[in-house]
Amino acid sequence: MGVTTSANDRMTMAPPRIPKVFLVDDHALIRAGLRAELAGHVEVVGEADEVEAAIEMILERTPDVVLLDVHMPDGGGLAVLRAVTTTLPAVKFLALSVSDAAEDVIAVVRAGARGYVTKNIEGPELIEAIVRTAAGDAVFSRRLAGFVLDAFTNTARNATPAPSLDPALDQLTPREVEVLRLIARGYSYRDIAEQLGIATKTVESHVSAVLRKLQLSNRYQLTNWATERHLL
Amino acid sequence: MHRARLGVIDKQPLLSSVLKPDSPGRPQRPLRRSSGDALLGGVCSGLARRFGVRIRTVRIIAVLLALFFALGIAAYMTLWIVLIRNGESSSIFTKTVNDRRDKEILFVVSIAILTLLIAFITIGVGPPGLSLWFLALTGLDSVMVWRGATEDERDHLRQISAHLARLRIGRSDGWRAVALRTGVGIVFIIWGISLMSRVSGEHGAAAYVLAGASALVLGIFALFAPWWIRSVQDLSLERRARARAQDRADMAAHVHDSVMQTLSLIQRAAADPNEVTRLARQQERDLRSWLANPETFGKNSSSSRTLSQALLEVESEVEDHYDVSVEAVLVGEASLDDATLALVAACREATVNAAKWSGAREVAIYAEVEEGQISVFIRDRGVGFDPKTVAPDRQGVAGSIVDRMRRHGGSADVTSSPGGGTEWELRLPRTTE
Repeated sequence: MGVTTSANDRMTMAPPRIPKVFLVDDHALIRAGLRAELAGHVEVVGEADEVEAAIEMILERTPDVVLLDVHMPDGGGLAVLRAVTTTLPAVKFLALSVSDAAEDVIAVVRAGARGYVTKNIEGPELIEAIVRTAAGDAVFSRRLAGFVLDAFTNTARNATPAPSLDPALDQLTPREVEVLRLIARGYSYRDIAEQLGIATKTVESHVSAVLRKLQLSNRYQLTNWATERHLL
Repeated sequence: MHRARLGVIDKQPLLSSVLKPDSPGRPQRPLRRSSGDALLGGVCSGLARRFGVRIRTVRIIAVLLALFFALGIAAYMTLWIVLIRNGESSSIFTKTVNDRRDKEILFVVSIAILTLLIAFITIGVGPPGLSLWFLALTGLDSVMVWRGATEDERDHLRQISAHLARLRIGRSDGWRAVALRTGVGIVFIIWGISLMSRVSGEHGAAAYVLAGASALVLGIFALFAPWWIRSVQDLSLERRARARAQDRADMAAHVHDSVMQTLSLIQRAAADPNEVTRLARQQERDLRSWLANPETFGKNSSSSRTLSQALLEVESEVEDHYDVSVEAVLVGEASLDDATLALVAACREATVNAAKWSGAREVAIYAEVEEGQISVFIRDRGVGFDPKTVAPDRQGVAGSIVDRMRRHGGSADVTSSPGGGTEWELRLPRTTE
């Protein structure tokens, strides 16, 4: 709906297909604001303000990306994420949150979200994040990069190593740490590619690898760590 | 002994006995349970008022009667449920009988008590016959009091149990309470087993009796479980409701203190978009930290104790004073000393510079505490500058950032190009603790 030809022209840099986006947020104002900001750049195929309705409509309309508010009543965004990904794994989730609590962020990302952005993200950046999510890439905000670095590097240094089935999943390669550090410092993917002398695609694959590790890692400290962080 | 004590009381001076609450007065009708000077159910004081005698006299008579086949207790409890409490419209008895659920409970309790009575009488053990009936009546009355007492009277009874708690009898903690309970429990268990083994004169029969007793307990449980569970549920529901109300009150107080104030400030400053943004940002940060940990919120406002707290303070200070958003991402944690304080100060200076001169709307702070060093990066995507053109005597860059870092054994490097943004890189070697 509401996709004009001029918007199409502006999207020449993006993948040819305009991503179909579904909004899940219990605040009507936020949904309206998101709609206004996304109008013309992506196709908003629907919105929902509660868990039940969101699951039903997402399964029916099969969007490319679901913009998901993490903090919703009735089990919140996590419930939607879990219910949809079991039946429709092709639908990708981008978590949108006001929370800075590591606990919440880690929980959604580990449940399968492709990325996490805070609600005060600027419009163009959000659109970029959606397009990237739709293309199957991971979206790391500065904060998420910081969380991951904190969890993977600091616990490795300070805590006792966790018993694990696959040690490869429990640590980051030096290159991945480097990439994450640059993201945390505020570099864009293109800046990072330039800085490290690699292709932007390679940066993307590093980030996706980190996301996969974050989701599959066995290290129990991840959860503990997030909980402790929240309490501190 | 009771006589002697009575005598002492009677010899008290007249004046003090007039002022005392248990002084005899004119007989008053009708007979009501007292609500003011009640010790338990207010029966004795009610009787005293009705017949115009001292409360203490009535109480002592009741205690003496209790020694006589528990008659006093049964009479007291019966009067408790039959008499109307002062200020109330109906007695506990009529209330219980008129309530369907209470009536059911009463019915089941009666049957259970009757069964027990018959069991006791046929076995022929336990206290002598007459007191058994009185005790049964007392039990029935107690159930009615438990079910039918009004909220006001419950309050009164709760206060009494609170007094007991002060004596550490009703409390579940404390070694004295545990010792007391254990002692009483063991005495009763030994007594019970010895009674059981007496049934047929040999110890082996006790097993059957024990089995029978367990069956009895199970039966009683089956009879009462629904009510018991329901009352437990009622209690926990009530507790949860109270907790929720408390939460809501806290929330309301916080919303009023912070959000409402900010909204009214915003209304007043509606013409000044910068001020509105600043207020909104301040409020957002405030709420965010409140959401993150409401327990410690507002408790450590002024004195930062750790590096991350200090850097978060830099974040909020710069946001408050300049129209930019600053986001600090922190990895690891370190305590504050002279060197790290210098690092924080250098970071503040770099952030302020970025906010003032870069023209960027966002400034990113990234700090990482590693084993050997602490690094802080301050990056903006603003206009940038050519570091070579900056005069070496310019205090901001030279003194506040570079020299300060050098003095503490660290380094400060700046990467910038016109149009390409600026990034400061502060490094401080760290001696491992």
